[in-house]
Amino acid sequence: MKNNSLLNNFLYLLFFFIVFVIYLPIFVMIVFSFNSSKYQIMPLRSLTIDWYYRVFNDSQYIEGLTNSLFVSVTVSLVATTLAFFCSYSLVNSNFKGKSILNLFFLTPLVVPLILIGISLRFYLSSQGYEPSLYLVTIGQSIFVMPLAILNLSNRMSQIPKNLEEAAWSLGSSRIRSIFEIVLPACKFSLIATFILTFTFAFDEFIIAYFLNNFSITLPIKIWTSLVTGFDPAINAIGTLVFLTSLTLGLTAQLLFMKK
Amino acid sequence: MLFFFIFPIIHTLRLSFIDPNNGLYTLNNYFAFFAKDIFYDSFFRTLKLAFFVIFFSVLLSFPLAYFICFVIHRKFRTFALLILVAPFWTSFTIRAFSWQLILSDKGFITWFINLLTGYDIKLNFLYSMKASIFGLSLFGIMLTTLLLFNSMITIDKRLLEANADLGGNKFTEIKNIILPLSMPGLIIGSVLTFIIAVGDYAVPTLLGGGFKPVLAQLMLSTIKGTYDLNTAATMALILVFVIIIACVPLLSLIKQIRFER
Repeated sequence: MKNNSLLNNFLYLLFFFIVFVIYLPIFVMIVFSFNSSKYQIMPLRSLTIDWYYRVFNDSQYIEGLTNSLFVSVTVSLVATTLAFFCSYSLVNSNFKGKSILNLFFLTPLVVPLILIGISLRFYLSSQGYEPSLYLVTIGQSIFVMPLAILNLSNRMSQIPKNLEEAAWSLGSSRIRSIFEIVLPACKFSLIATFILTFTFAFDEFIIAYFLNNFSITLPIKIWTSLVTGFDPAINAIGTLVFLTSLTLGLTAQLLFMKK
Repeated sequence: MLFFFIFPIIHTLRLSFIDPNNGLYTLNNYFAFFAKDIFYDSFFRTLKLAFFVIFFSVLLSFPLAYFICFVIHRKFRTFALLILVAPFWTSFTIRAFSWQLILSDKGFITWFINLLTGYDIKLNFLYSMKASIFGLSLFGIMLTTLLLFNSMITIDKRLLEANADLGGNKFTEIKNIILPLSMPGLIIGSVLTFIIAVGDYAVPTLLGGGFKPVLAQLMLSTIKGTYDLNTAATMALILVFVIIIACVPLLSLIKQIRFER
């Protein structure tokens, strides 16, 4: 028994240590974003919100933000809609090779983003398409599709099949039963999937980097400022992006639990 | 999906076998890759990085998942899991950058140590492979803990009671019950961690620095620098082969599941 509590104490310690390690840099970044000094060195000078002003007055950040919003909203709309119908047919049908099709839909999950980006770029430019925001939309949709399908098909497999069968026997068409039974039952999951795919697309950097020519997205702008000399406004934008995605991610997670 | 996912990969596969000079199919690109020191080195550097990352994330995720599953009070379970994996949904780039603030030689840690002891120390940690391993391991820990937790939570608690009744201790409990039953989560977690570690670009650049590039960095600089598509495609395909090999344990898992049901 004594041995047990020793182990438990150790585990408590480990848990809090890891949580501390995960959140420490983010905390420091948030602190620096209010620091008036140009250099990222402790101790802090005085508090300021100048960097936040800078972000909102910098046309490049604003352009990146607009582009990112456009891309990620399109991506999450496309991915959620497609995933809804894919999951519906995957859950409700039973045919030979279904498990292979299942696997096929999930493969992008095990392919590094850099490979999705590179091969799409090679392929599409060999077909004569120039890199643009639309290509980014396609690439990111592929990257978030497996997540959307996993979430939605998980929910759909919990809907009792006989609800739909009852609707059919009462003369409802297949399409009507989808809209009046399956869709409302998946309501929360759909919203959660939408939010989640939005978050992932919004933060995604490497696919956008490859499939884009001139129009920057926010992660690309952040990346270029990081690599080419330091801009203290990064702390501010990083804080904003981090808090936004954290809130969205948690909301999505809570919605999934609600079902 | 077929158009935008499978075709591009096949196209890249074809590119990697084409000789850039005369357009014929050849294996020369692959020989050239392994003949050049910089490619050869970065290939093994990438693998080394990935293995260390898996090692650390499994080593730490296992006790963490165990803790969340069996030690902590039921009420706090979801909360503990969420707090641990929440940053998973946020931008990878920004988190990697925030580590720069902490780890650099003029960063938070050296400042803190100076404050406590009065000594100026140099960490020499940032821009090394250690820093890459560190950054990616943290990511791996989140992922693996989440997946391990999913397997562990399904373990029947009566098994643990039986173990205690029959005179077993913590060690036999972990060895005979928890480890075998959470194996699926462990395998999926390590494979996914491996894939992220070999394919990641942001962390090796921001934390590992550019002097000892990994494959992803080389690929990008090849495309942006010389626009040598065939070499880049070869690197991409080598990465794909490595990943296919890494996925073999997953296949055995799928078979197992099918037999059990």
